[in-house]
Amino acid sequence: MEVGYQFEPLHKEEITHSQLVRYAGASGDFNPIHTVVPFAESAGLGGVIAHGMLIMGFVGQAISQWFSTKDLVKFSTRFRAMTRPGEKITVQGSVVEETEDRWICQAEAVNEAGEVKVKSSFEIKKR
Amino acid sequence: MESLSTGLQEKVGMKLDTYNFKIEKGKLRELALAIGDLREESLKGELVLPTFPTVVDFMGEETSTLEDLLGLNLQKVLHGEQEYEYLGEMKPGDDLTVTGVIENVYTKAAMDFFIIKKEFVNQHGETVLISRSTIIERH
Repeated sequence: MEVGYQFEPLHKEEITHSQLVRYAGASGDFNPIHTVVPFAESAGLGGVIAHGMLIMGFVGQAISQWFSTKDLVKFSTRFRAMTRPGEKITVQGSVVEETEDRWICQAEAVNEAGEVKVKSSFEIKKR
Repeated sequence: MESLSTGLQEKVGMKLDTYNFKIEKGKLRELALAIGDLREESLKGELVLPTFPTVVDFMGEETSTLEDLLGLNLQKVLHGEQEYEYLGEMKPGDDLTVTGVIENVYTKAAMDFFIIKKEFVNQHGETVLISRSTIIERH
């Protein structure tokens, strides 16, 4: 591992309405902007949007494939753009910096058009 | 210019209800399935995914509590940022006690921002995680 190292991207399946219902149930986040189309429309969102935490969850999955979660010490995410059913997300990431005992890494979740949905940074304990 | 109505300012420092949550394998598996993580370890409920603490948060507290406390309109609420500091290991079977506080509130660009800090302590009294969520309410 070295600064600049690019991790193998994680390609996710197309997001479906069913997945959002499933994520609501699994996570306990039942805000209807994610699952109920008329509610989301009246909120001015033009339809349901995915939970930001589902997309961060994709990034979390990728991190847990790139490293052991036991070595993960910090993980932060900024939610940049809304994601809708029908979109396909890819998580990509790289090592951007190192300290004596940590790898400082970045990751982002993008759709097929390259739109950045979330931007994450995370730190991994060196072994 | 940042401005703040007195109603919001009063919420800074407000403590949220403490709750307990036991990490069960079935819940870990359910999250993995929802995310589409089909690795064996995930499906067996043996892997605590990095974002699981937010599931603990939603499941552990009455879902209406935070919204009621802050008086939020669900049609106007967005998640701005999420941060976790992993201080110890979380394992299936752990019994967590979670405390929370409204760390900061501010208004910017016609939106109210709420920073909520939570501390997760396991059954041995070890703080295993600190999380910070930024919740945004559009005006």
